[in-house]
Amino acid sequence: MKYLKILLNGIIKENPTFVLLLGMCPTLGTTSSAINGMSMGLATMAVLIFSNLIIACIKNLIPDQVRIPSYIVVIASLVTALQMFMQAYTPEMYKTLGLFIPLIVVNCIILGRAEAFAAKNGPVESIFDGLGIGLGFTIALTLLGAIRELLGTGKLFNTTLYSENYGMLVFVLAPGAFIALGYLIAIVKKTLKI
Amino acid sequence: MKPILSLSPHVHGGDSVQRNMYGVCIALVPALLASLYFFGVGSAIVLLTSVAACVFFEWAITRFILGRERLTICDGSAVLTGLLLGFNLPSNLPIWIIIIGALVAIGIGKLTFGGLGTNPFNPALVGRVFLLISFPVQMTTWPVSGQMGYVDVETAATPLALMKTAIKTGDASLLSELPSSLDMLVGQTGGSLGEVSALCLLLGCCYMLWKKIITWHIPVSILGTVFVLAGLFHLIDPSYANPVQVILSGGMMLGACFMATDYVTSPMTAKGQLIYGVAIGVLTVLIRDFGSYPEGMSFAILIMNGFTPLINTYVKPKRFGEVKK
Amino acid sequence: MKKLPSTLPNMLCVLTLISVIAAGALAYVNKITEGPIEENKARTLAEGINSVLGVSDAKVQETSEVEDTNGNPVIIYSTDKGVAVQAIDPNGFGGTLKVLVGFADDGTIKGYTVLEHAETPGLGAKAGFWFQKGEKGDIIGKNPGEKELAVSKDGGDVDAITASTITSRAFLRAVNVAFHAYAGASATDGQTGASPQQPKN
Repeated sequence: MKYLKILLNGIIKENPTFVLLLGMCPTLGTTSSAINGMSMGLATMAVLIFSNLIIACIKNLIPDQVRIPSYIVVIASLVTALQMFMQAYTPEMYKTLGLFIPLIVVNCIILGRAEAFAAKNGPVESIFDGLGIGLGFTIALTLLGAIRELLGTGKLFNTTLYSENYGMLVFVLAPGAFIALGYLIAIVKKTLKI
Repeated sequence: MKPILSLSPHVHGGDSVQRNMYGVCIALVPALLASLYFFGVGSAIVLLTSVAACVFFEWAITRFILGRERLTICDGSAVLTGLLLGFNLPSNLPIWIIIIGALVAIGIGKLTFGGLGTNPFNPALVGRVFLLISFPVQMTTWPVSGQMGYVDVETAATPLALMKTAIKTGDASLLSELPSSLDMLVGQTGGSLGEVSALCLLLGCCYMLWKKIITWHIPVSILGTVFVLAGLFHLIDPSYANPVQVILSGGMMLGACFMATDYVTSPMTAKGQLIYGVAIGVLTVLIRDFGSYPEGMSFAILIMNGFTPLINTYVKPKRFGEVKK
Repeated sequence: MKKLPSTLPNMLCVLTLISVIAAGALAYVNKITEGPIEENKARTLAEGINSVLGVSDAKVQETSEVEDTNGNPVIIYSTDKGVAVQAIDPNGFGGTLKVLVGFADDGTIKGYTVLEHAETPGLGAKAGFWFQKGEKGDIIGKNPGEKELAVSKDGGDVDAITASTITSRAFLRAVNVAFHAYAGASATDGQTGASPQQPKN
């Protein structure tokens, strides 16, 4: 029950994209299609779960004054490892997400959760927090990616729904990301009343 | 806005939103006739669709999404947005694209921010730029002026595209293919509906100045800046088009007289308006000459719309009775 | 367990320890992923070469790297089935455009693929198929040695991608560069047997 609450907290009440508005750079940069958004979300989630777990385990070993550099080293190592794994086993995905994979290091969600949650809670809770926040982020990015892909190219998860000639290019480009995100946040806040 | 009842005899100047909005619409009539003359039925279809769609979306969104009781479709602002949007489109644009443009102009450009008076950006331009980025192919194939049909008309490169190519290739001889200044003034060139006849737009502009709907500051400062800057470029390197043709081509007149002067999105004081106009002029020339799009007017106006609150903050009107320190 | 106090020795030890562990872990990950990453690169290259030569089992016999007139690297892959050349043009609409072009023995283009680009989706990004066989801007079978490839706007006979002339120009420049490198290489070592015409400029 307690774990479920932590999980739901990350997905809805403290959704990193819709409520906390954290990690906007990958949110806007990688969501040109639903698949891209989802893979970025999953990559971030993987880093988040492990960084939360490791930091929750070693939090008492780290003196307070050097906690930020220590967290950054942990997170950066995890991201670099993830980058190598993706390059080796999912080269296509790595090519599409490109620059945004190393940028996960500076994603404020990860350091934010390390500081706000993992440094104060046990390892198991921290895993669930990472999972919840990660899922919240993945859902938001997939949703945004799906909207942009559908409006921009007439496809959804690479399945053509209507002719690309009717797609509005602006949604694939940067301005469309801002427009779609703005309306998505408005709609989500209105329907979930958060 | 509720009328404020107060004591004492007051004389109402007769100035109202409706009066100004319809005043601008009247000023657009010469350009409207010119577009009908040059583009025939295509022009009528585009303008009618655009105006009807804008009014419809204004009504539907205020009524059903915002749930307002008092409707604002009669104040003329939606009609004006529709007209201006239509003037910014080529005469062979498919109807569904026009409807998307109207939805974006009214929905995203205006009502998202709260409706007339609170929109930071000119709605018609938001619609146009959205379409330009979304449907670059359809938005940049202009029918040749003088063709009456709606679809399957002959298209040609506009003067702006020619100027751009001349700059990119550094080949000044290309500029001789430009229509003469007189043709550009009257409207014998390709382009969007409201772009072709600079003369008719100037006529409308004079009407607005006469009726005191707008002041001279914005149009004069934009056109002046563009003329000087384009003239400089032309003197340094003749592969840049001569300033007269720069001013007469593309959306320059329409933008300077009708788009940039929008009350809501331009600065309040004369000094502020001059700063705003000069900045638009500089940006337009820079985007036209060095940017990736041939036309920079709409982008320049939108960028300066964003700066308007800042200009208003620093260039404040003097309060009545205030003494200079 | 009590939290370690922030004394200088503590901080030094902890930071050093974390860095060492992190470095060790990364070194290990690097070691196990190194192989697959190399394989991927080689496979991508082989697939590219096969697709531009229109075969399925081309074997690279010789790889040489030269520079074009602007100092950009051009890589020539000579295979048993023909020559594939990788060339770039830095002035695409969104940045550098990297293409791989396959040439037949007489210098005609057998196929091409766009390896890297940063063009606008829906416009310049169409370069990947626009110039393929049967498409509007078909360049397959053309010989840049007889006539430099250029878009029709510039007096050439290739239709530019609609509303993306800049991308089209960059793409064709890259293909021309690839051809010159190919022609230069085969003229000097005569590896391909036939003698493609020398570029005119």
